[in-house]
Amino acid sequence: MSHSTRCAACKSLRRRCPKDCVLAPYFPPTNPQRYACVHKIFGASNTTKMLEQLPLHLRAVAADCMSFEASSRVEDPVYGSVGIISQLQEQIIEAQSELVKTKGEIAFHNAQQQLLQQQQMQQLQMINAVDQQGEDQPSWLSSSQQDPFTNVNQQLLEDYNYSNTFCGFEF
Amino acid sequence: MGGSSPCASCKLLRRRCAKDCIFAPYFPSDDPHKFAIVHKVFGASNVSKMLQELPVHQRADAVSSLVYEANARVRDPVYGCVGAISFLQNQVSQLEMQLAVAQAEILCIQMQQEPNLPTHQIDQVDKSFLLSTNNFDNNNIPQYLSFASSSNVIQDPLKRESLWT
Repeated sequence: MSHSTRCAACKSLRRRCPKDCVLAPYFPPTNPQRYACVHKIFGASNTTKMLEQLPLHLRAVAADCMSFEASSRVEDPVYGSVGIISQLQEQIIEAQSELVKTKGEIAFHNAQQQLLQQQQMQQLQMINAVDQQGEDQPSWLSSSQQDPFTNVNQQLLEDYNYSNTFCGFEF
Repeated sequence: MGGSSPCASCKLLRRRCAKDCIFAPYFPSDDPHKFAIVHKVFGASNVSKMLQELPVHQRADAVSSLVYEANARVRDPVYGCVGAISFLQNQVSQLEMQLAVAQAEILCIQMQQEPNLPTHQIDQVDKSFLLSTNNFDNNNIPQYLSFASSSNVIQDPLKRESLWT
């Protein structure tokens, strides 16, 4: 008994496709290119052997990976999928280097911010210390522009002015 | 003529090692395992064809990469080299995400330090930020793993042993 349509592998190999064909589930006739690459790189016999050695539930994954490796090798006959690995490793090195540089810049900015804040704190403390010293002097000495009589009872001030003029002369 | 010993491939294949043997320069007799593993995965005939299609100066590199792939496939009969590719792609994605976050942080710091930036300059900064974040858009990273079949190929590569450890 054979499949009504042969799988891509059996078509390529020009043979009957049995019902229990190992390759049929993974190399459908709708995608002949997929099997063509695998056949070119690994060979029909090796492909079948490698799949047969695996449990059924892993064969689809394995067939996909072999197909990927085979097509990579067809595209790049010198390096194949190893070329992709090299490119990725280079990308990792570049990204790591860029990340270290950027984190360095962030650390530098943060350090600057901290220094600025510390300086501001110190200045504030100095101003507060000067203010504290100022509180010990008579209030009317603390500012030359301050009215010396602000703390004086207004009534007393009026009395003072009245008494100065009562006797007809000013003190 | 009969003085030199056969190369590793001719020894394994039990044939006479010709003077112009295509395998001889790359599979010396003192390292039989190298050819054995390549023969197991790719087959001697396929390797011979692949080397013949390449110029001489590229054959050594091709053999090295074939040996690497063959070793990967023997160590991991399901994923082979693809497992490593998946692992590395994940690393690249994670690093680029971290980089995008760090660069966004730098931008925030710069904008905080210039609170009086005129509006049109802020728009320029936004644009440059968008451009820089676009560089890390996943659509711009070459996606090496796009399989024709619908099976979920890369199931959990991070848990598997890395070839680079």
